[in-house]
Amino acid sequence: MIDFSALQGDTLWERWQYFAQTMPEKEAIIHWRAADEPFRWTYASLLETANKFSHYLKNIGVKKGDVCAIIIRHNPNFYPLYLGIVGMGALPSVLAYPNPRLHPEKFRQGLTGMAERSGLDWIFTETALEEIILPFVEDKNTTVNELFFPLEWNLNKELNSDSIQELSEIRAAIKSDEPMLLQHSSGTTGIQKPVVLSHAAILNHVKNYGKSIQISNSDKVVSWLPLYHDMGLIAAFHVPLACGVTSIQIDPFEWVLAPILMFIAASEEKATLGWLPNFAYNLMADKLSDEEMEDLSLESFRMMINCSEPVRTESHKKFLDRFSEFGFKETALAAMYAMAETTLTVTQTEPNNRANEVAVDREQLSNGKVVITDDESKLRICVSSGKLIDECQINIVDNNRTVLANNSVGEISVKSISMFSGYRNYPEKTAEVLDENGWYYTGDIGFVYNNELYVIGRKKDIIIVAGNNIYPEDIEDVVSKVENVIPGRVIAFGEDDIELGTEQVSVVAETSLVSEDDLSKLRVSILRAGMSINVNIHQVYLVPPRWLIKSSSGKPSRKTNRNRILTKNDEQVWSKK
Amino acid sequence: MISDRLKKIICDELYLDPETIEINDETQAPEVPGWDSLNHANIIVAIEKDFGVRFKGLEVLKCNNVGALQRLIDSKVSL
Repeated sequence: MIDFSALQGDTLWERWQYFAQTMPEKEAIIHWRAADEPFRWTYASLLETANKFSHYLKNIGVKKGDVCAIIIRHNPNFYPLYLGIVGMGALPSVLAYPNPRLHPEKFRQGLTGMAERSGLDWIFTETALEEIILPFVEDKNTTVNELFFPLEWNLNKELNSDSIQELSEIRAAIKSDEPMLLQHSSGTTGIQKPVVLSHAAILNHVKNYGKSIQISNSDKVVSWLPLYHDMGLIAAFHVPLACGVTSIQIDPFEWVLAPILMFIAASEEKATLGWLPNFAYNLMADKLSDEEMEDLSLESFRMMINCSEPVRTESHKKFLDRFSEFGFKETALAAMYAMAETTLTVTQTEPNNRANEVAVDREQLSNGKVVITDDESKLRICVSSGKLIDECQINIVDNNRTVLANNSVGEISVKSISMFSGYRNYPEKTAEVLDENGWYYTGDIGFVYNNELYVIGRKKDIIIVAGNNIYPEDIEDVVSKVENVIPGRVIAFGEDDIELGTEQVSVVAETSLVSEDDLSKLRVSILRAGMSINVNIHQVYLVPPRWLIKSSSGKPSRKTNRNRILTKNDEQVWSKK
Repeated sequence: MISDRLKKIICDELYLDPETIEINDETQAPEVPGWDSLNHANIIVAIEKDFGVRFKGLEVLKCNNVGALQRLIDSKVSL
């Protein structure tokens, strides 16, 4: 295991530089490409190129504390650019590369929403996106100084000693308690919560999390997770890079089309650690054929860690049943509970142990009590997210935020040394979730049993599709504007898809249309409205006017109407499936 | 040119009406309502089943539009 007390560096840049000096030839990042040889960055080559990027950034005017948005699809120069920004004391902020289905105007709205609070100063992107992004940058109200295309920069020229000296001075002025990066919570158009993390928060987290998974120099991480997502950015990118461990990075767009890529890379490079959202366990188990798996070995994995959406026992079982014949070990099935606000991990399964499961009484659980049962007719299997990592605490609290007794179900609150300091420029949201004693109220519901955390649901209406958080308001807003939908008479909610091991988005909308042909056309219009904000609406329920029941706020109640849709066989409800 | 059979499989899988949805050689998955990453795997499986062929993930990855997918099917069927 890595001796963290022996590692040098109080900032991320110092830590990376320490590895570049002490083990220059060790591979830092293997940039995987489906149709080509991988591009291999050593710690030395990565830092050398990052220095060149820093030099460029300095010359264009990037300063300490500036927020630098990066919108670049899987590219080997993404990593040194990211490091180069950090090396200027500026804050990299990785934004999702727009899916072709996302309407350019909606993409710009997303940028505007982020810029409002995050105060984006610079955008670094690809020339292919110039047309889409330029109107946003040219808007008179924008905070953005300029748009740049760093993949076009000439990095062949070596830096002279004066330039190196200037950069050294900039780095010496970066302090560990200063902001290091900015992440955005999910939300497609308007609701963005920027989380700023300091060098200290990240390095403390790397140490505490690294210890919990007993990370060692012989580990190798494999990941297809997008780097705008906290699990991809922190677990699969920052943790290995700040531990001197190699990570293999796969293009998420390529992985969804060919999930086998993860196992090809893992098998060839002998990867030991991976993180996956729950749906990926089902997807890979269901879709990878024996033919594709031929000659591949998963023996090297010591931990495959389930995170970002509720962990399901069926998914773990399915994955193990499918891949044990290819060497995947039962003890590698792990889970964690994590969020951007605590840098990442709160709890984690111990190494060499399959994530624990308990059978609890379902009815008692809904009454807030944890009662173990073996009665098949009323049990629910809950999968543990593991034990607390060091320097992190949790409480289970009621609606008044009073700490509950053992074996009670309630909201999970967290306190961590790696806690964020509040949402940037969003004091009202920060005040809602962070109290004066530093406890963060997660909105997730769970219980503690035998010192392990079990997460079973959430207070908020957030929909988690394949690890991505989607706010129902965003969907309701665009669907309300579809012709023939009665404005404001729409709800969106998450519907469990057991086969896929995730939630899917469902929409209920009121309309005056009645003919089958008209309703079919309206369904497609609603699907297209979802596509315009990059949300795939899976199920459309169309109902007559005044069908939706209002809540006390006067808006259609998501919970009540969801239950009506899912439990009643109402002839007034039209749907395609 | 893509066949009516392929178009029907895609539309059936996504509950779309083939008469009102435009799908041609140049169409890319994100342009078709409902064809997202989660449904993609189901569509591929449905095509495999209907045509009695098997695709490798990396073969599908190279298909950047429906026309390329049709050509991949044709190359398998003609073997």
